Order: sequence, then C-alpha cells, then structure tokens
Amino acid sequence: MLKAFQKIGRELFLQGLNNSHSGNLSIRQGDRIFITRRGSMLANLTEEDIIETGIEKNDSNITLASTEIIVHRAIYQNTSALAIVHCHPPYAIALSLIEDDIIPIDSEGCYLFRKVPVLKSEYTIGSKEVAKGASKILKKYRLLMIKGHGCIAIGQLLEEAYQWASSLEHSSKIIYITRTMKPDFIYKKTKDYHKW
Amino acid sequence: MKGWMGKIAAVDLSSGSITEEKINSEIREKYLGGRGFGVSIMYSKIGPEVAPLSPENLLIFTTGPLTGTKAPTSSRISLSTKSPLTGTIFDSNAGGRWGIQLKKAGYDALIIKGKASSPIFIDVNEKEIQIKDAKNLWGKETFESIKLLKKIKKNKVSVVSIGPAGENLVRFASIMVDEYGTFGRGGVGAVMGSKNLKAICVSGKRKVEIADSEQLDFVIYETKKWIKANPLTSIGLPEFGTPVLVNLVNKKGLFPVKNCQTSYIKEIENLSGEKIKEKIFVKRTACPTCPIGCRRITQTKNERGKGPEFETVYSLGAMCYIFDLEIVAEANYLCNRLGLDTISTGVTIACAMELKQRGVVDAGISFGEKDKLKEIIKNIAYRRGIGNDLAEGSYLFALKYKAENYAMQVKGLEFPAYDPRGMKGMGLAYATSNRGACHLRAYMVGPEVLGIPKLINRFATTGKSGLLIYIQNLNAALDTLIFCRFGGFAISDDYYARLVSAVTGWQIEPHNLQIIGERIWNLERLYNLREGFSRKDDLLPSRMLKEPLPKGPSKGETIDLNGMLDEYYNCRGWNKKGIPDKIKLKTLGLNSSKEEKIA
Repeated sequence: MLKAFQKIGRELFLQGLNNSHSGNLSIRQGDRIFITRRGSMLANLTEEDIIETGIEKNDSNITLASTEIIVHRAIYQNTSALAIVHCHPPYAIALSLIEDDIIPIDSEGCYLFRKVPVLKSEYTIGSKEVAKGASKILKKYRLLMIKGHGCIAIGQLLEEAYQWASSLEHSSKIIYITRTMKPDFIYKKTKDYHKW
Repeated sequence: MKGWMGKIAAVDLSSGSITEEKINSEIREKYLGGRGFGVSIMYSKIGPEVAPLSPENLLIFTTGPLTGTKAPTSSRISLSTKSPLTGTIFDSNAGGRWGIQLKKAGYDALIIKGKASSPIFIDVNEKEIQIKDAKNLWGKETFESIKLLKKIKKNKVSVVSIGPAGENLVRFASIMVDEYGTFGRGGVGAVMGSKNLKAICVSGKRKVEIADSEQLDFVIYETKKWIKANPLTSIGLPEFGTPVLVNLVNKKGLFPVKNCQTSYIKEIENLSGEKIKEKIFVKRTACPTCPIGCRRITQTKNERGKGPEFETVYSLGAMCYIFDLEIVAEANYLCNRLGLDTISTGVTIACAMELKQRGVVDAGISFGEKDKLKEIIKNIAYRRGIGNDLAEGSYLFALKYKAENYAMQVKGLEFPAYDPRGMKGMGLAYATSNRGACHLRAYMVGPEVLGIPKLINRFATTGKSGLLIYIQNLNAALDTLIFCRFGGFAISDDYYARLVSAVTGWQIEPHNLQIIGERIWNLERLYNLREGFSRKDDLLPSRMLKEPLPKGPSKGETIDLNGMLDEYYNCRGWNKKGIPDKIKLKTLGLNSSKEEKIA
C-alpha cells in the first residue's frame, strides 16, 4: 500500500499537479480509510505519512489526518469510490475561476470526461460544504474541480484517480494553448451537453 | 488605549489597603499583558529574600489586550507568582469567564500581597473592591465555595476559589475557576491559602475598546476558517477532548507508565478518548469565544464531574498503573473539589508507589492499588499521616528518603504525559523550561509527533534548539495575549499578530511577537538565576539519562542532554553556564543595572 501512495504522490509532484506540500491521497478498505498525513510531502511519503482511521467513526488518528479528511469520508460514504486523489493542477484551477464547467476540447478529454463540474463554495479547505457538494457530484462524475482550489478525482485504484486528474490538466492546457493562439476561439457546446 | 483598560488594582491584605495604578506605557509595549506583565512585576518587586508562602510574595492575576474581545480561544486569565513547588518564577493560566469579568470591571491586572488576619474573599466590581469575611467558606471544597458565592451574588459573578489543599498549603494546590477552569500547576493555590484568601469574585460590564473592529471581524473569520478545517481542532478535540492523544502517544511508545518505568502499554486503551466517549461522556463544553470546545462533562456510576483530561489519564492512571476509567475519573473529580493539581498529585503518588516497590518507604499504596487512590489523595489535601510528606511534592518527598532519582520532575515540577526519551526535543524543552517540567512552554509534540508545523525526526538530538527556542518565545508571547494553546494547532503566528494589531491599533508582526517572547523568556531566566538556579538545574531525572526504555516503538532510548544543552545555550546567546550575555540583554531592552548584574 505504501508503495502505491509513494508512486502516485511522487508522480503528482513531478507532473506539476501539486506543489511541495499540497494535495492528499486516500484509499478505502472496508470501513477504514488510509489517508495521507496533514502537511505531508506527497513526493516523499514515508510509513508515518499514511494515517488509518474510520470512514464513519472517529478515533485518535483523526488528529493526524489530512485536512481534507472530511471530504474524503463524505465521498466514500456516498459513492462507490475506493481511491481518491486530490491535487492542485494549475491550468485546471485557472479555468475553474472563469468557467462554470470545464469542457475539454481535445478528443481524449471529450471521451474521458465530456465535462468536469466546477464546485463553488465559500469555504474551500476541509469544508463541510465541499464535502456535501463533492460527494453529490461524484455520484455521477469521476472528477470535479473546486473553484480556485483543486481537483478531486475518484477511482477503484489510486492510479486510476491519478489518471483522471492528469488528463484533466492536459485538457486544460490544450484549452489554454488554443485560446492563446486564437483568443476569439469559442468551443461550441454540443446539443447533448446538458444530458451528461 | 485600545485593548487595555489602563488600570491595575493592588490589594494589600495585611493592611487592608486597596490602590489603583496606571499601566506604564513602556511595560505595555515591552510585555503586552498576561505572563509578560507578571514576570515584569515579579522581577522588579520580589527577590530571593521572599519565600513563596510568605506574606510578601505576590499573586498577580493578569489579562491581555485580547481578553474580553471576540478573538477565538482568548478567554483565559494568567496568574504569576513565586512557586512554592519549584521556587522559580511561575505563571499558570486558566480558561473561563473570570479574566473577561476582571477586564470588564475595569482592570488589566489584580495584584495581591500581604496576609489577612483571618479568612477572607475579595469582591471586585466596576465600582469598588472590597475585602470580605470568608470564615464560613474556609474548609469548604472548591465547588461548594464557588456555588455559595455565586448564590450570594445572584450568579452575576465569576469566582476563583481554593479548596482544602490550598488552605493546608499543599505545594501543588490548584485554584478552580467557576465550574470548570483550573489554575493547575505550581502550587498557586497554596500561595492563595498562605494569604488566608479563599476566593475572589469579579463582575463588570465595561467594554474593551477595539481599534479596528472591521479588521478584527475579518481576521477572526479567517482564523475560524482554519480552526474549522483542521481535523484536530474540528473533530479530534471536540469529539474526544484532550484524551484524543492517549492512543496516539502510546502508539509511539511515549506514554509514561508506572512512574516512567516504561512508556508503552496496551491497557491504556481503557483510558483513551475513545473509551471516555463510549463509557462516561455526558456533554462537552467550551470557554467563551472558543470554537473548539475540548472540555468534557462525564458521569461515573457514582458521580458527575469534569474530565479526565489527557494529563490526568496519565498521572492518576498510567503512572499509578491504574487503568480503571471510573476510578481515574472519580479521582480527578476529587482533586478538583479539594483543589489539587492532578498532574503533580498523580506523579507524586506514583513516586511513593515506586519507593514502596523498592523498599525505601511504605506510603501505604502500591502500583495498581486503585481502591486506595482516593484515600491517599484526601490524605494529601488534608496533610494527614504520610500525606503530609506527599503534600511537599515528589521531589521533596523523595529527597527526604534520599531517593530523589525516582521523582519524575524538573526543578520540582512533576512531568507531564510525554516520556522525553522517545522525543528528544521535548526532553530539552522540559529541562530548559523556566517553570520546571512543562509541556506547554514548548509543545514539541507538535513537530515531533503531530507534524505541526511539519514532522521532524523525534529521535534526533541535534539541530532542534532553533525550533525549540522559536516555540518557547512564541508561546511566551501568546501567554501575554492570553491564548489557549489549542488554537495554535490550526493557525500560525501571523494570525495572532493580526488579531493583536486589529485590537490595539499597533502594527504587530510575527517578528515582534518573537522579540516580546524572547524578552520574557530571558527575564524569567534572570529571575531564576537570581534565585540561585543554574545549568545544574536544567536537568532531567537520571532515569531519562541512564535507563533505556524497555519496550515499544521507543525501546532502547535514553537522552544525552549535555550536548543538547550546549547547543541550546549557544542558540539562545547564553554562555555555557546558561547565563545570558550583556549584548543579548541589551538587544532585548533588558539592560538595567539590576539585570546586567546577573549577566
């Protein structure tokens, strides 16, 4: 388990999806959650950085868990996810500040996501509001953006959730590059956009 | 004068005189309030010739510029004196409404000196301060005394009171604040008892003037955001109280058991925050302005009361090898009623248990004898039989039998609940603390266990002095304001600086807090040096230095303190004897002839 956390934690940093101490990872095992320690460096995780606590029930380890534990728990309580990646991809964050949803324009992004919802909240860190909103959205979507904050991606495995986060950032770069090259570029939403 | 009321009241119990004085602006700028005011007054007025329990010793209750404002976790009051347990400068602080009421009565501080000829209480309100007869209160337990005074005052006052332990000058007697707060450590209750002072009532309605209310509201909003976001302050402490740390600390092999003979034991789970919640929890309460709410009301089969806190679970539980939750909780309630510090009480009893185990002296109780625990606590409070010896604290008790190595203390103050052999920075913090073994002067558990601000290697012995000094200085500054430590789990020093700035209108930055804290730390050091303390007293019990931990995740560890002390003194700008040099004192504005004489 530690190796999986180390691998994905390092990848997120190397790919620029996190800064030195941002982001958090978790997996679910039955009614237990294994989550990165508050303030840990995802690129350099050690055994002490993986904290085990309950999904429903608190215990003393809660004091060490990531600030976003409340959000991770809500997602596990309301979805079938077994792994969660939360990271801070800069292009996607920038887009989240100006778009209601992020709609990929590259073909891979279109296939993978169609659209990525942007969740708006007054409190964006360790927030009950985000926990409630994110767990509701992630019943239908595999990832979302918290406006101005970061991405939450879910999967059966950490690597799967990482892939969604990585692909979202890639799609966001494509949008940025395209708009830079052609500022008046407007992506026309398909008719069935709202059906997704 | 935003943030302060501008007045200090002084009551002389010997003469009955009551005077008021203005706060010197230089003192406000250099020390802000709380612990800073306390040491500044103590240093200028109380020298080595004054014995802690003599009438000349002072009791200085102080507020800070944020007391009485809406700043989160700021509703605390500080008390400074010379401790009868340690002989050092000592400050203790407690949560609750008392400090707010003192400030609303119009005072930033209340200084008490002298000794009344018979038991009295002091009544402070906006209009007057009166000394009143308390013969009918003398002999009563803390809560009884508080309840009676509140009844007389129609519940419109906040009250501090000692119990029988303070009256009987037990060297670790505490003072209770209303129903739930405690000035726990250092025997401040005995100093109150030595003055025939049973209680103090305060009430007031004045408002603290704020320089920039809009800015204050904004900073409070931002501060609360972090307190709500952090699982420790938003889930851990509210749900389990301070015993949330029990399992966590034990898992690292740091929870002292059986007078520190080991620091890892499975049975401790019976006393954990989780078990307290499951078995005896009734409700949680909070100090005014506190969004955390760590206090617990609990109920055993026989009684209802406050606690047990993390430190009490350790001292009256694990240290005495007692893992019966109901017994520990009831022993805690009893200490509160009698007015005893639970940490020193438990650790002193544990010391007696070990002396019995080793055949040195039989105090009538062995490790694990839970049915005898409450009786020995009563004997201490009333100084009955060998309880009279134990009432002197673990060090003087053990010294009497030439067994002081088995007293788990520094400078006479009993150990808190962390075995420093498994966390070397905490060991250095205990050794260098100006008031003896204390976890609150610098909570190295933060970086060494909890990862606050970041996780560091708890076994490393070098390179920690800079961080330790930073935390010691910061905490000294926070004790001037007077903030609860728990807010600091979620917010950093710049938030505190912004809160002070908004209230006072001064431009306070984190760097200023460091300087104020460093000034206080050095003045406390000068005070202790003047009392005869030196490097030889910055010491841990020999068990910590020589006896490796026998089991658990910290197995085999001891502390090599000497090298750490050298590094620490050097970082502090002190010489190898632990004396601040003149240049250091000058940079801190501590260069009067009095101070330079010590350096």
